[in-house]
Amino acid sequence: MRFARLALLLAAAAGPAAAKSPPPLPTYTPAYEPSTVDERGLWGEADEEERKLRDSPLVVRDETVNAYVRRVFCTTVGQDRCKPVRIYVVEVPRFNAMMAPNGMMVVWSGLLLRARSEAELGAVLGHEFAHFELRHGLAAFKRARNISDALSWIGVAGGLSGVNTFGLQWALIGSFYRFNRDQERQADELGLKYLAASPYPAGAMPELWTHVMAEDDATKVARGRKPRQHYSAGFFDTHPTDLDRAVTLTKLAAKYGDSGDAAFAGHRTGVTPVLPMLLADQIKLNDFGGTDYILGQLAQSSGWTSDLLFARAELYRARGNPRDLVTAAGFYGDAIRAGCTAPEARRGLGLSLMRSGLASDGRTALAEYLQLKPDAADAKAIQALLAN
Amino acid sequence: MKMIAFLRAAIVAAAMLVSAPVLAQEKTGLKPGFALAPNARIVLMRPSIKVGAQSTGGMFEPNADWTAQARDNIGKALQSTQVRLGNRVTPYDDAAGNDPVLLGQYQNLFKTLAGSVIEFQFFPGNRLPTKVRKGKFNWSIGQEVTRLPGLAGADYALFINTEDHYGSAGRKALQIFGAMAGVGIKSGLHIGYAGLIDLKTGELVWLNADQQMGGDVRDAVGATKRVNQLLEGFPAASTAVASAR
Repeated sequence: MRFARLALLLAAAAGPAAAKSPPPLPTYTPAYEPSTVDERGLWGEADEEERKLRDSPLVVRDETVNAYVRRVFCTTVGQDRCKPVRIYVVEVPRFNAMMAPNGMMVVWSGLLLRARSEAELGAVLGHEFAHFELRHGLAAFKRARNISDALSWIGVAGGLSGVNTFGLQWALIGSFYRFNRDQERQADELGLKYLAASPYPAGAMPELWTHVMAEDDATKVARGRKPRQHYSAGFFDTHPTDLDRAVTLTKLAAKYGDSGDAAFAGHRTGVTPVLPMLLADQIKLNDFGGTDYILGQLAQSSGWTSDLLFARAELYRARGNPRDLVTAAGFYGDAIRAGCTAPEARRGLGLSLMRSGLASDGRTALAEYLQLKPDAADAKAIQALLAN
Repeated sequence: MKMIAFLRAAIVAAAMLVSAPVLAQEKTGLKPGFALAPNARIVLMRPSIKVGAQSTGGMFEPNADWTAQARDNIGKALQSTQVRLGNRVTPYDDAAGNDPVLLGQYQNLFKTLAGSVIEFQFFPGNRLPTKVRKGKFNWSIGQEVTRLPGLAGADYALFINTEDHYGSAGRKALQIFGAMAGVGIKSGLHIGYAGLIDLKTGELVWLNADQQMGGDVRDAVGATKRVNQLLEGFPAASTAVASAR
């Protein structure tokens, strides 16, 4: 027996007075249990995946960060909805989050680095939760099965009759991807409603997409490619384009016209314990333009902290043009003066200086590195470098 | 017909990964000269069991009931088979206090190892010229496995993996019409493997892999047949060693 009840808009009532009344949320069913063969099968499969993910070394175990992500999620979708959801933050430095049919949410660490405020993080978590609440996994599974069944029959029938079925098959495949894009739009719309009903402003959602596009453009420019955003999605696209989402969501958010604090400082504090890890992972992506853009965004919010300066220095040293090494040495110096305690700042400084022809200063910095971290993995290599 | 396969793959790939069945040329590997310690204590690691249907288009449709039945049936069949062989089989104690992350890593490592053995040992054509595989069975997950909590006092760890996609009525019908159109369509997928790790050395002493398994894991009789197939070539206990002690 299922108990259906209207979601109470407590969160909205507690928030600042909105210009217009918040949108009504769909009926929420607590402790939902799947009953059909298909849905129970998908849940069972997701349960097995969750067993594995729970014990994966990729999961970020920092309690503060986990508590922070959960708080933002609960603030966005409300206490009723958030409670049964298990959130796993995993160390994957890309912009994504996902939700399995059984209520397991996976948040990639790259999202924590890219979201600039609690509201932007909440926007993505709310979107993912909307997929879950609308049971999109099941619908997509059924759709894929119907289409692949039809494709098989059409293929065999075509083979038997000699009729060309190529056009029909392409139309079916196209319909699958279109279906997927429609699901994304639905999740965007419901996700935006959560945000509007929460203390966070709905406008944060389109803003996030604007920044995702800007980062993408920066990546392309640095790689010598033409930055180009599209309005309409391609045939095989599973999502509407970023530009489409930014424009559509701006319009929708304006309709709700809610105000509220996006909580930039809250997000900064929330991710502080893992920020060095997030930055180090991002540097390793070998994406100079995108990373520089992200660092700039972070600095706009917090100023150039020692963590950000160190990351910027590492970024330039990784690109490694002669001019980059000079720039990097400067940033390493700035980071150390700003209080950067990571021994690796000395290593980077020393290596950059030595490669720029400033051997004695470089040696001093490297010696300091070894002093600070005598058991470093590369200690022997650095000692050999100093002995030369 | 290639185009059809491609088109279908485009859809299926979007939904899930489907492993293509491959015909193994060799099925069983046993470390030469290996004999099981008498009255062996074997820890059964949590088996990976996946049971569902295969849709007309070839998609895997997971089935929670069948999977639960198979887990139950295979567990019981294993127990009785091993008792008959004179071995003691206990399931790995998954209780708190163990090291779940390390355990997960070993589950993954075993899966990778089994995959390597199937690919690079059981297919003689895939054997690397730099490795001598003929007449040898030299594989290990490392001696550090002894550090895994909960294995104290055990001699061997048994890993089991089965995956069953039962062809739906639609799939079988498609197979018939496909044959009329001259397209070979396979209905159903039944793969599995089992392996034994020596917990003193970390060596893989026995592995049996089958890409076309029999026995319906959804009922007790079928599961017994499946377990017998999974344990084909399972090393026998050495009575000579026993009497020497």
